[in-house]
Amino acid sequence: MDTISRRKFLQLTGGAIAAGAAAPLLTLDQIAEAAINRPLALGTPIVVIVTLYGGNDGLNTVIPYKDPIYYSSRPDISYAENTMLPIGEDLALNPGMTGIKSLWDQKKVAIVRGVGYPKPDHSHFSAMAIWQTGSPVSHLSSGWLGRYIDSQPEDPMLAISLGSVLPPLLAGTKRSGSALPLGGLVVPTGTLAIDCQKLSRVSRDDSKLMAAAATSMRNLFSVSSQVAPILKAPAPVAADLPTVNGGNAGGDSNLSQQLDVVAKLIAAGSPTKVWSVSLGGFDTHANEANAQAELLGVVSKSIYKFMSQLKATNRASDVTMMVYSEFGRRVKGNASQGTDHGTSGPVFLIGDKVKGGFYGDQPSLTKLIDGDLAVTTDFRDIYSTILESILVTPAEKILGNWSGRTNFLLGK
Amino acid sequence: MATQAERLEIARLSHRFGFGPRPGEFATALKLGVSAYRIEATTVPAIDTGLAVITEPMITDLGKRPSPNTPEVIPFAQAMRAQSLQMVLWWLDRMALSNHGLSERMVWFWHGHWATSIDKINYPLPMFTQNKTLRTYALGNFKEMSRAMINDGALQIWLDGGDSTVKAPNENLSRELMELFILGVNRYSEDDVKALAKVLTGYQINNSSGKVTFNLKRHDPSAVTLLGSSAIFSGESVSDYLVARDDCATFIAERLWYRFISSSQPLPTDSTIKKAFTERNIASAVTALANDVAMRDPNNSLVKAPVEWFISACRALQITPSKLDSSNQLISHLQKLVQVPFSPPNVGGWPTDEAWLSSASAQYRIAFAKWLIKQGDLTPITSLSQNARVTKSADWLGVSAWSNRTQGALRNAVGDPEEFVLLALCSPEYVVSA
Repeated sequence: MDTISRRKFLQLTGGAIAAGAAAPLLTLDQIAEAAINRPLALGTPIVVIVTLYGGNDGLNTVIPYKDPIYYSSRPDISYAENTMLPIGEDLALNPGMTGIKSLWDQKKVAIVRGVGYPKPDHSHFSAMAIWQTGSPVSHLSSGWLGRYIDSQPEDPMLAISLGSVLPPLLAGTKRSGSALPLGGLVVPTGTLAIDCQKLSRVSRDDSKLMAAAATSMRNLFSVSSQVAPILKAPAPVAADLPTVNGGNAGGDSNLSQQLDVVAKLIAAGSPTKVWSVSLGGFDTHANEANAQAELLGVVSKSIYKFMSQLKATNRASDVTMMVYSEFGRRVKGNASQGTDHGTSGPVFLIGDKVKGGFYGDQPSLTKLIDGDLAVTTDFRDIYSTILESILVTPAEKILGNWSGRTNFLLGK
Repeated sequence: MATQAERLEIARLSHRFGFGPRPGEFATALKLGVSAYRIEATTVPAIDTGLAVITEPMITDLGKRPSPNTPEVIPFAQAMRAQSLQMVLWWLDRMALSNHGLSERMVWFWHGHWATSIDKINYPLPMFTQNKTLRTYALGNFKEMSRAMINDGALQIWLDGGDSTVKAPNENLSRELMELFILGVNRYSEDDVKALAKVLTGYQINNSSGKVTFNLKRHDPSAVTLLGSSAIFSGESVSDYLVARDDCATFIAERLWYRFISSSQPLPTDSTIKKAFTERNIASAVTALANDVAMRDPNNSLVKAPVEWFISACRALQITPSKLDSSNQLISHLQKLVQVPFSPPNVGGWPTDEAWLSSASAQYRIAFAKWLIKQGDLTPITSLSQNARVTKSADWLGVSAWSNRTQGALRNAVGDPEEFVLLALCSPEYVVSA
């Protein structure tokens, strides 16, 4: 099922960092120190990007459940109507998405329908590169949020991706976001540790690059034992979820673990405005229905828990999440109870500042383009709004001259 | 005794124009002297006996992918995996076992130049064919190389050439041909991209074999205005037209400079490398590069890319990559360092220098070296008295000089050969080509 996983994509693209923009790897004490000494001002907007790798089937995420063509196009992979979660306009959420349904009912979810870009690419590799670089036309090696990082004063804490490899999303041309491995770094021990520390000392004989090599090894050791109080402390407790031993039960998926760390660091005041987390496995060429309900269940539960955890902090209303995937899937099911690579899909924006509801037109099931859904909203509309209205940065510098906007925020 | 300057230049020739010395080779080069060694390093011998033990893998046309959940799909997927792995191991073996590093080094350079990834191509055969094409022209004529690459199945699939028709020209190949392969960025206009896209319509590619055919019905035969001239071009004539431009000589000289001399200093405007490329002869340009005065400038250090670092360690430790236990672990180590042959991150090729130096890569490099050392030949160190190990190890690895810092760390470990070698391989002086 999972021919291209999140890990694989990152392995492929992780090196895709423009020359001169080394990807810093954060140590726990750097984050702890930054959070304590220069916390993000309360009320500063924070963006959390959730990437679903593999091509999430949008038609089985936001489902046109009243449309007979939906059932006839994919008889083996459509869900029973009574299991779906209706959200109006003849649409329903995937049965696994109870958490997001509940946030939808609280008017905290904007669903932008039919999102894509002109001449959609059906390759995971190229399509994800297009979404992450924000550039459907020319191949850029910087990500759209990487170029945002370029436009800001230098701060390794500004944008952080969970996981050891930096996604191209956060690679700038001059600077890049930082990567925070979930398990932290594995540091040598014993005599090797002593010798490696000796080997990584500053030497006046070093060229600039040798000095950088020494620094990279030295940074491995700057993780000291007295740090990490922040990451070792329990995550904020979501009051409306059941608790076990002082923490919330369930949801120990990888995505949930990533969001746990993000919640802790947001609560601690990490001076970070952009976070990136991800989940893979959406390449459902075969036996899709159960697999996708399970995956979307993980996404939905993790996000619901995260939003609930934030309520225990004073930053709940500062956070906006965006959930996207590199493409949707074909309307017609294939011979293996799955779907092949398609084009447009829904993008979710979630948060207290979000004006809940539908945006963009639902692509028609009768007016397909080569068997694929039409694109009704360009992703750059959403990116522009995030840049201008949340990150307070001119979109033009990052996306070029782009006039479209999706006004999904309250009071805008 | 060679001077420090001579040691530096010979170390650079060995690590940049090849993949570093095998035991004893650096000392031999020092005795030869810079001039004689430079000639040796840039003159490809007729026969490379080091490669005699390597058998070319059987990379076959695997045909259409069977439907999921059928019995045929499992052997198909296994064959895809096995052949892709064999292809990677075959190339790594060639780099590690070659008696003369320059040929493989240039194939590696061109792989990063015409950067195509198997992760979009999927099938190993088109990638293997492309590698052979790069091999044929690696030190040959760039005009012929460009013609061959326009007809390369993997490159055509990679840049959506098969989707480019008279009704809907796709600009992907057109743009990259000018921007990344032949002329360099900003040396053409958007109108030129559109014009060249028209010329390049009509190619059709078989995905599993990489076989390229030309379909006149899908081709736009009209005249276009490209970079100031109006004409009816063919794929070959348009390639020749681009390659003949002065910008092509500038661009290829820039790219060679970037990978062999410095990624931070620009190519000097009056560079002899560009002049040596007048006839589009790649070998002449590479010789000019090896002779350039910049090779002696201590500022021009370069970080070894992970594959370069790994191969140089294999050569020092007399390791044949395909014999490492296990191949899957080898690939996993390379993946952690984010560099596996045939899988460049994007059409722009591999990153350089600082991009390879994160704390994570320092950690992964230590783990990788530990694993290699257990399977390598340490006699170049164990045969020495403990007192001689620090000094002699620089010659063994082709390091121009150990800093006092690194000498201190190595001295701590003279009694433990495995740890000694680990420190040497992970030292700033070995991770970076000084």
